Amino acid sequence: MQLTEFMTTKIEYIEPDATVYDVVEKMVDRRIRSLVVGSPKKNDGHGVITARDVVFKVLAKGIDPSRMRAEELASKPLFCIDQDAKLTDALEMMELHNIARVFVCHEGHIAGVVSMMDIMWAVLILRARGAHVSR
Amino acid sequence: MFLGKLFSRNRKEQQVTTRMAEHIDLLCAACTTFHQCLVFDDRRLARQVPQMEREADVIRREIVSAIYAGAFLPYLRPDLCRFVSLVDEVFDLLQETANIFLYRSLPELLKGECIRVALLNLRMCELLRITYESMLEGADLREKQLGLRIYEKKIDDIKYGLIRDMMTIEVDNFWQGRLLGEFVDNLTGISDRIEDASDHLDVLNVSMR
Repeated sequence: MQLTEFMTTKIEYIEPDATVYDVVEKMVDRRIRSLVVGSPKKNDGHGVITARDVVFKVLAKGIDPSRMRAEELASKPLFCIDQDAKLTDALEMMELHNIARVFVCHEGHIAGVVSMMDIMWAVLILRARGAHVSR
Repeated sequence: MFLGKLFSRNRKEQQVTTRMAEHIDLLCAACTTFHQCLVFDDRRLARQVPQMEREADVIRREIVSAIYAGAFLPYLRPDLCRFVSLVDEVFDLLQETANIFLYRSLPELLKGECIRVALLNLRMCELLRITYESMLEGADLREKQLGLRIYEKKIDDIKYGLIRDMMTIEVDNFWQGRLLGEFVDNLTGISDRIEDASDHLDVLNVSMR
């Protein structure tokens, strides 16, 4: 199974100058758990902010989210994988770097994102189709 | 064990189960054609979908007639017919979607996600076929059903994004907007019908025990 089949292609972006409060607002409105910091028109320099980052690095430390810029919180660089890669490659990358999502990139552009939930779903679908899944 | 083995010596039942498999195979073919028509923006392919729907109607009538002409025990017949009707409802919705595509081209903003939904619909049909085969063998359908529910959830997630994007698109007139709304509604509703059909396979599976 190709990564492109179960990745999420709808990537939400936020400007680096936006506040962390803007980030939280967008996450709530769009019902998502991560945002790419940067512009969709640019090919590099992107970072990522996850709900985990917001909770542990901002809220838990008593920092006011409206006084912190998205760029300050973003993790860089993004962990990218080729769109022709296999499910197991993404899984390996997640395990190696202890990350919950891997970006699927094509010619410098972000084509999609694969989260742990996507991996779990893909494995369950492969099992349903009768395929053996292991690394 | 189940349907396959239970009636393997009976020609009537064998014919019905084979035709039911062909019915689902035709649905997979129709979904493939529709996916390709979106990928290549090919209206010629979209016109093939209603033809396949008519072919499926013929198969459905044959199956129902064969069932009530004496295939299978009477208590199983309504459930078997219901399953065939549910598959037919998927054909109807696919046909409506293809017909709208003939009159309303897809805005670039929605194209990518619509193609993804069409592909996931196709994958669901393939899994429905696998589930049907498993039911004939009397296997546990739990994993198959979960796979289908995952696909359905994935399409639901895409649907919200599509609706959000659709609201930003300017339309020339009421009918263009309405057709676009119906197209997205139908395209994302196909997975619900496939899930209904798969749930009914489970009902059939349980009633055989």
